[in-house]
Amino acid sequence: MASGGIAAGRWLVPDLAWAQRSPSEKAVETFTGPRANPHWNSVGPYISEPQKVPLLLLTDRPVQLETPRHYFRTAFTPNEAFYVRWHLEGIPNAVDLKEWRLRIEGDVDKPLAFSLPELMQKFKPVAIAAVNQCSGNSRSYLQPRVPGGQWGNGAMGNALWTGVPLRELLDRAGIKSGSLQVQFQGLETGPGPEGLGSNVFLKSLDLKNPVLDQCLVAYLMNGEPLPMLNGFPVRLVVPGYFATYWTKCLTWVRILSAPDENFWMKTAYRVPDTPRGSTTPDDMKAGKVQTIPIGRFPVRSFLISPDGSSKIPAGMNVMLRGIAFSGFAGIQRVEVSDDNGKNWTAATLGENHGAYSFRTWEAPWTARSPGRYSLAVRATDEKGNTQPDEPVWNPGGYLWNRMERQEIVVGNAS
Amino acid sequence: MRAEGSGSVQYKIRAIFLLMCGLALAAACVYAETRKGNYAPAQLGTLSQPGPAELSPDANFQVSAYPAPAVDLVPGDGLQEVQIYCNTCHTPRYITMQPPLPAASWEAEVNKMTKTLGAPIPEESRQRIILYLQAHYTPETRRP
Repeated sequence: MASGGIAAGRWLVPDLAWAQRSPSEKAVETFTGPRANPHWNSVGPYISEPQKVPLLLLTDRPVQLETPRHYFRTAFTPNEAFYVRWHLEGIPNAVDLKEWRLRIEGDVDKPLAFSLPELMQKFKPVAIAAVNQCSGNSRSYLQPRVPGGQWGNGAMGNALWTGVPLRELLDRAGIKSGSLQVQFQGLETGPGPEGLGSNVFLKSLDLKNPVLDQCLVAYLMNGEPLPMLNGFPVRLVVPGYFATYWTKCLTWVRILSAPDENFWMKTAYRVPDTPRGSTTPDDMKAGKVQTIPIGRFPVRSFLISPDGSSKIPAGMNVMLRGIAFSGFAGIQRVEVSDDNGKNWTAATLGENHGAYSFRTWEAPWTARSPGRYSLAVRATDEKGNTQPDEPVWNPGGYLWNRMERQEIVVGNAS
Repeated sequence: MRAEGSGSVQYKIRAIFLLMCGLALAAACVYAETRKGNYAPAQLGTLSQPGPAELSPDANFQVSAYPAPAVDLVPGDGLQEVQIYCNTCHTPRYITMQPPLPAASWEAEVNKMTKTLGAPIPEESRQRIILYLQAHYTPETRRP
């Protein structure tokens, strides 16, 4: 039959119009703004980098890569999918472990240098599960938009870090009395003039900061060597703190007797000294805002699946799954809502890997009738911190932790 | 269609058969979304998987070069200065990654590079870079 012939033709000729209609195959735009990024991740293309699965490209030199949403279905983020953020273009392509030493120097009684085998053998290994989150994670959701890496939500990851407690290294070297800060420097360098932030990346913590007792110099990440892009051979782990302090390829630990006033402490990575670190462009312009170095990350939670990219048949009982974490304490509860925050249902929390780890959660959900549903999720930590529905704004694009929403499309099933 | 002399029963059977074929076709149209075999042309080779590590006598741990794909910048006055000076510390993907930014923000960004971070850009080129960014990468001027 003639009509049968047309039907057969459909099997042979690619029907591009149909493919373009299919929502799961629709590509995202190449940039977002001036409105907020409407997607969970940033919108860059996938790229293959050394020791990595394809990740979302923000920038190529220096390298900034975002982890796609689906890698957050588990409490621990695979090393090969872990996000990447460097500041200066001189990123190591090779480290010669015969030459490399971790140096403890500055205002110490006895400057020390440790090879990697010495770090691995002379100290009892200590492990901690801890979230590493970029200060600028979720920057693309701020309104008005601010310059900087336009991260979606994937500039974060959780790993089991194993290494030497920083305190043991400092104690062996002996901190001189009257010292104020400890400064960290890794192998990354830039072509800028000496003494400026474009030449070297330096971060410091106060010596009286209790987090120093929890810091590790980690040579294992999820039981494997660190990928070069995540800081091989060792990186600093600062549990609960934003990743700007987690110096990659850590090589110099320097005790300072004067406050660190380099660009990366005095100018960059500062947040308003206000509730949630939030302010307005007008207050910034008026010079009314005091700033402080960024510190711990606020409580957050995410719905990871379903992710809104596929329609769900009405009446189907699906499992909502996600993660929650806080830089201040363990997660106490996660709640979900499908009526724009009027009613909340408690989710079931997964295994507890420690206060600074991702905590997985799940909650069953059934949409009886077709339509668009806005699912909301919020977490509360053990200190009572929770996620407000109000946005955050500051000029650096830091500290975003607004309650998350995800639109889910439920289709007719009959 | 011709009814041959084999009787009206056979004619009726044929008519019913044709009617059912028609109904089946109509049903196929209604359920057109149950489709199979739809493929579209695509390009390979932009992503690759790594091979195994090699054993060497030294203590060198290395990875291959980090890829830096070409960046599409809008042609226009000042593009050459952008490609020369901005490229010293970072690829121009730092520009295309940004959302459309107000003209004043672009000026502040370029000034941060020169004044705070010490990029050695001659004054005339600095001006041309700012004008280029404002001409193509603001909410009013940026094109998809």
